[in-house]
Amino acid sequence: MNTTQKIGRLRGRRGFVLALVFATGFGLSACSFLDPTNVENPRTTADDLADTPDPVAALLPGLRAQFARATSAQTVLTEVVTDNYSIHGTGLSKTYDTPRDIGPSSVNSTGTATGLYWNSQELRALSEFVIEDLVPVDETATAEDVAEAFYYRGMAHLLLAENFVGAPVEEDGEPITPDQLLDLAITDFQAAINGGPVIGVAAQAALARAYRWKGDRNASSAAANAALSAAPDMLWIRTFDANSISQQAYFFLVNRALQEMQPLPRLDFLDPKYLDRESAIAIAKAEEMYLILAEINLVGGSLDVGKGHLATAISLANDRVRVEFTDFDQRLNADLSIRPRDASIKIRADASSPFLSGLVLDRPGGTYNQMVFSGTSLDPDSIQGLTSADEVWHAFWLARQEILFLEGRRMADLGIRLPIMLREIDANPNIEMSDPVAQVFVPTYIPQFDEMDLFTPASPYDAGENLITDEVTMMHDMNKILAANNVSPFR
Amino acid sequence: MNPRLRSTPVAGALLVALLGLLPGAIAAQNTGTITGQITDASSGRPLSEAQVSIPGSGIGTLSNVSGRFVLLNVPAGQATVRVDLLGYGTTDQTVTVTAGASTVLDFALSQDAIALDELVVTGVGKETERRKLATSVEVLDAQEIANVPVTSVDQLLQGRVAGATVNAQSAQAGTAALINFRGTSSVFGAQTPVIYVDGVRVDNSQSTAAGTGGEQSSALADLLTSDIERIEVTKGGAASTLYGSDAATGVIQIFTKKGQPGTARFTGRIEMGVDQPEEKYMFDVGLTFPWLACTGEYDTPDCVPEVAPTFMSDKFWQTGFAQNYYLAVNGGTDMVTYNVSGRVQNEEGVQPKNESTLYAVRGGLQASVTDNFTVNFGGNYTRSQYQRLFNGTAIADPLTTFEVGDALFFSGAGDLDEALDIFLMPDIDETVDRFIFSGGFTWSLDDWFIRATTGLDSRANKQRVLEPIGFTPGEPTGQSTRYDRTFSSFSLDAAAGWSWQSLSGDWSNDLAVGVQGFRDNTTVISSTGTGYALPGTPAFDEASTITSFEINEEVFTGGIYVDETFDMWRKLTLTAGVRFDGSTAFGDDVSYEVYPKAGVSYLMSQEDFFDGVSGWWNQFKLRAAYGETGKPPTPFDKDRSFSAVSFRGESAPRFDNPGNEDLRPERTSTIEVGFDASFWDNRLGLDFTWYDATTQDALFFVPEQPVTGQGTQLRNVGEINNTGIEIAWNLQVLNRQSIAWSLGGTFQMVDNEVVDMGGAADFSVDGSQKRVSEGKPVGSWYVSTPIDTNGDGLNDSSELQFTGGQPVPDQSGSFNTSIRFLNNWTFTSLADFAMGHEVFDWGSVWSTFNGIYRREEIENVDFPRRYDLDGNEIGRYSQSQARSAFVYKGDWFKWREVTLSYTMPESWATALRSDRGRIYGSIRNIMIWSDNALIDAELNGLSGDGIALGSESSITASAPRRFRFGLEFVF
Repeated sequence: MNTTQKIGRLRGRRGFVLALVFATGFGLSACSFLDPTNVENPRTTADDLADTPDPVAALLPGLRAQFARATSAQTVLTEVVTDNYSIHGTGLSKTYDTPRDIGPSSVNSTGTATGLYWNSQELRALSEFVIEDLVPVDETATAEDVAEAFYYRGMAHLLLAENFVGAPVEEDGEPITPDQLLDLAITDFQAAINGGPVIGVAAQAALARAYRWKGDRNASSAAANAALSAAPDMLWIRTFDANSISQQAYFFLVNRALQEMQPLPRLDFLDPKYLDRESAIAIAKAEEMYLILAEINLVGGSLDVGKGHLATAISLANDRVRVEFTDFDQRLNADLSIRPRDASIKIRADASSPFLSGLVLDRPGGTYNQMVFSGTSLDPDSIQGLTSADEVWHAFWLARQEILFLEGRRMADLGIRLPIMLREIDANPNIEMSDPVAQVFVPTYIPQFDEMDLFTPASPYDAGENLITDEVTMMHDMNKILAANNVSPFR
Repeated sequence: MNPRLRSTPVAGALLVALLGLLPGAIAAQNTGTITGQITDASSGRPLSEAQVSIPGSGIGTLSNVSGRFVLLNVPAGQATVRVDLLGYGTTDQTVTVTAGASTVLDFALSQDAIALDELVVTGVGKETERRKLATSVEVLDAQEIANVPVTSVDQLLQGRVAGATVNAQSAQAGTAALINFRGTSSVFGAQTPVIYVDGVRVDNSQSTAAGTGGEQSSALADLLTSDIERIEVTKGGAASTLYGSDAATGVIQIFTKKGQPGTARFTGRIEMGVDQPEEKYMFDVGLTFPWLACTGEYDTPDCVPEVAPTFMSDKFWQTGFAQNYYLAVNGGTDMVTYNVSGRVQNEEGVQPKNESTLYAVRGGLQASVTDNFTVNFGGNYTRSQYQRLFNGTAIADPLTTFEVGDALFFSGAGDLDEALDIFLMPDIDETVDRFIFSGGFTWSLDDWFIRATTGLDSRANKQRVLEPIGFTPGEPTGQSTRYDRTFSSFSLDAAAGWSWQSLSGDWSNDLAVGVQGFRDNTTVISSTGTGYALPGTPAFDEASTITSFEINEEVFTGGIYVDETFDMWRKLTLTAGVRFDGSTAFGDDVSYEVYPKAGVSYLMSQEDFFDGVSGWWNQFKLRAAYGETGKPPTPFDKDRSFSAVSFRGESAPRFDNPGNEDLRPERTSTIEVGFDASFWDNRLGLDFTWYDATTQDALFFVPEQPVTGQGTQLRNVGEINNTGIEIAWNLQVLNRQSIAWSLGGTFQMVDNEVVDMGGAADFSVDGSQKRVSEGKPVGSWYVSTPIDTNGDGLNDSSELQFTGGQPVPDQSGSFNTSIRFLNNWTFTSLADFAMGHEVFDWGSVWSTFNGIYRREEIENVDFPRRYDLDGNEIGRYSQSQARSAFVYKGDWFKWREVTLSYTMPESWATALRSDRGRIYGSIRNIMIWSDNALIDAELNGLSGDGIALGSESSITASAPRRFRFGLEFVF
């Protein structure tokens, strides 16, 4: 090795030492910056939950929130399917106005506007998790806590039973029928009726509702009376939270520029009912109990007793609190033509019905006392004056429609049942697209296409926004159709 | 070598070099000068802009417009002069320099169409000549990048990389293109390749702020083209294997300038220009508000226009003014080189409230601490400020609402002027501060080397979306959203290697062992305030309702690799390597992943038998490779988790992630075979690659059964295949003394298929209308389609059906040309195209709500009619029942760029006290041809950071026609 080579070697070593120093520095800094043991999941993991001292109490607010989601979705989705509302804008699919066009993809949302199936199943699964996985290991869980969890699972079963053709209730499960779902709901509600003065009464009211669909007059009557005896003017509501889970119907009724949910003109006076993001939706109220009692008596032939209960329900509804409200809804069809919006307009429920005044309010800009829990165009005295069963049944269905307006009952009353969501069909190996649960069920008495929502003239105004006729006729009176088809579940 | 400098303390040397004072210090008494001219060997045409240097001496320059160069202060004795020029490769000549004298050394360069001697570092353990590579690697170098009239890297890649599909989101500031290499290999997460800047893994998120319609701010928008020395692109497969679990979608490696030896050279550039809106797909209010265009009855002779049908052209679209200033200094010695630059840019945009302002400072430094120890540093700070409008799918978007007829409806305004005023009320402002730092060293001695690079990308994005009180289309009581996202990534990449060569030189071997690791942290904090009592404040905490959320994501991924290259007779090269990876994103039951690679490269043109055809066939390299790469699951998807929201004063939990202990990266195995060839005296270069890439264990967000109450869980269940070809070619059409004309292009074709769903049900991706289904391309359009249920030949119902098309183009490519004439003039142009995809027109969907059927009006194509079961026509289908009517062929061709550049004669430059000067003018986004007349089929609606297949947008502004005029001086 010559001198030059030696010097090169020495310099090489110096470089090597430098390289080692740098590499050590890199390595040390890398250890602190790259250290994988510092990577922690910022969510609550299963391990974290296992460390929770009172998991049932911790999960109950989640059940309440999930019930709010399901209630919100039920209100929007089922109302637009019915004659109560039609869609005029981009926020909701126009398909809902044509019930026979509804398919599994139409109800595939997981959101709180139209994701009824999803949110009902999530409510069912989350409450089942609490009941089956947490309650047995949580010594701190109170009886009231457990009852509340049963109530929510019962409500999930009830929502599925009322609104869908059927549904599975376990992973890979075969779909069960609405009747079987009602049995599950009833079992859950029975486990919840001792849940204290609030949940207990709500569970009794839910039992009355579930037994109604079962057609069990005695059990339904007993539950309704039990609820009423505990709280004669009972009102069990689900409130919302503007900061997280807002009430979605409000957006389509009031908030959005399009206000795409537009009521059938004969129900104009009931709209918009929900005035802010947190507006409560009634889950159970005394009026409904009286309507159930009325229905049981009408079916049983006790016309006068039934009329009495009906009148009580109407009186209760008319006595509920109202809120002064100025509505700026311009009442526009999708093509920007104007729907009935003057108090001078007279409405008839179909071409053979009489014109009635007072069903349409002045908008936009009119100020009035808006009913926010119950309201109806009927009065108790007029009910007492009805003589034929057909008349009473018509009044009964109209009262149910108006008093339970925007509370998600009308679609079930019309007999329409939705298919389950596409995701369930896709993911469950025991459900095929050809199965009944994948098809919407629309009774034959329901008119074709979107005729439930139609009326003439579609706009009683000219291009200058001048009212050109004050008479508007609904294409169909669905209450007359329900009465004519004897659709009561108690029959 | 100057011993005095060698003893200078390192820090002092760096500081002095940074100040640009050092270069003159090395001038010595015992020196001479080398002058010469660089010409094209075939035509004798002078070649300008060639890099001329004496390696290891710190002496270098560029050839001028006459091809001439002067190297001053060259130490007497033998000197090796190196010339490096795009398209001609690298040429060395040795000359003896006499002290005090000028030595002439001319270079006659031969074209090198396929650059087999070019060194590549991406995807190999040690820098490797291209001739040894068994894979396709694309390289864009500084000379190629310098004259392109774009500002960000995504635009730069458009049309310049074979096998890449690069489609823009929109014209709005802060957005960037979607980049996809070799088809859709995954159905979860973005397809964007990973990006390294000077060895540091950087943020490549396509969605870094709250959505403002169908568009998203992208981290690619602030990766600027200034000061880039070269970009290397690998498109997955064996070329990316050493990047392991992170590289299935490819790797883009950007190297910034560290300076060239020589005296300090200042480069100043002033660029001015205007942007003109592209209104080809805008139909203005004449289509959507025809009744407003009349005072009399519409559609009668009494119709007298009241509102001009060009309302939007007149009152919305505008000509945007742009200015761009750049100053850089570059130079150094044999020990230290540096490049420091600053840039300020402002563009007004072609829509109101679309201004963008950018400030960038970049510095690069390389220092030889000893003969065999080099350190380098790079730092880059960018501040971007954007203004934007709601756009795309938003009901608050002026463009969409006017173009689909919703403007009055959503705004509640009485006339169009008032409506436009309302739609322009919101302020969407965004600021991005980004700092990329890298530092590293290389030690080499004889056959050994150690190198390491570490660095940090820190990006902070602050966005404010203010809808003031009275903004009726949105929240009439006012709403303000603050969205702050911070991203940081710390990377480490270190390797050691050993090279060996047989005595005969016939065999050589390169072995490298390396370690890589990165840790990403992403944090988002967002709050929205709704409902203000008083105007004038954007503070969300003054609102009546406040909602907020926070996202925190962390991931560490690290791996080690071994890479071996064995070369025989300089014509046959065998490569093999393996990478082992671990990551915190992997499931608890997955400890590490192994990614192997192997390849062979055969330079057939080195064989004796090749001489027989070498008259017209100059070079031919065959290559074949197999390699595996991965794509990691998202952080924490492995865990079962719960999430909660605040609900009426309580924390309300629900199910979050179902959890998957077996979660592992999806694995893409690629076989590729190809060749690089040159013909006719190297005038035609051709690269061809065929590949077959199969992604196994593909990650699907598998929907759990809703009955479980659980959402989706990432599972390794699928298999996706992409088979395709890539072609890149360049042809020197004319090569005369006074003119050189070249043509080039790229073409890629890919066949994409979901081979196996692994038992998972079909599901939608990237919106609700793109489906993942076995046997079909990823994201095949799946939309409601009119059907005939009773066989009477008339459609009476509707069902979801596949259209047979897909949103991702299966063919794309580009053409480019370059003409250099009269020594001083250069003309370049680029066009690109994409074909084989279908696009969805949301604008026409929205317009049906207003009774406007755009395709009927513009293309005379009837919207489907519906009949009842008795054969009576009911009218048009509703939009939701006939979405197939909004799916069109998406083929497009765009003349993208044209640039004319004039390099000033030396006399002019000297008169202007500079070494060289250049004037240029360019136009970008010149013209569009497309199969449909309704939407710009290149644009992509984006709604988040998930998979983005594109081809689905509402009314969206196309990239504007950009006219730029610039002056550049080097002094």
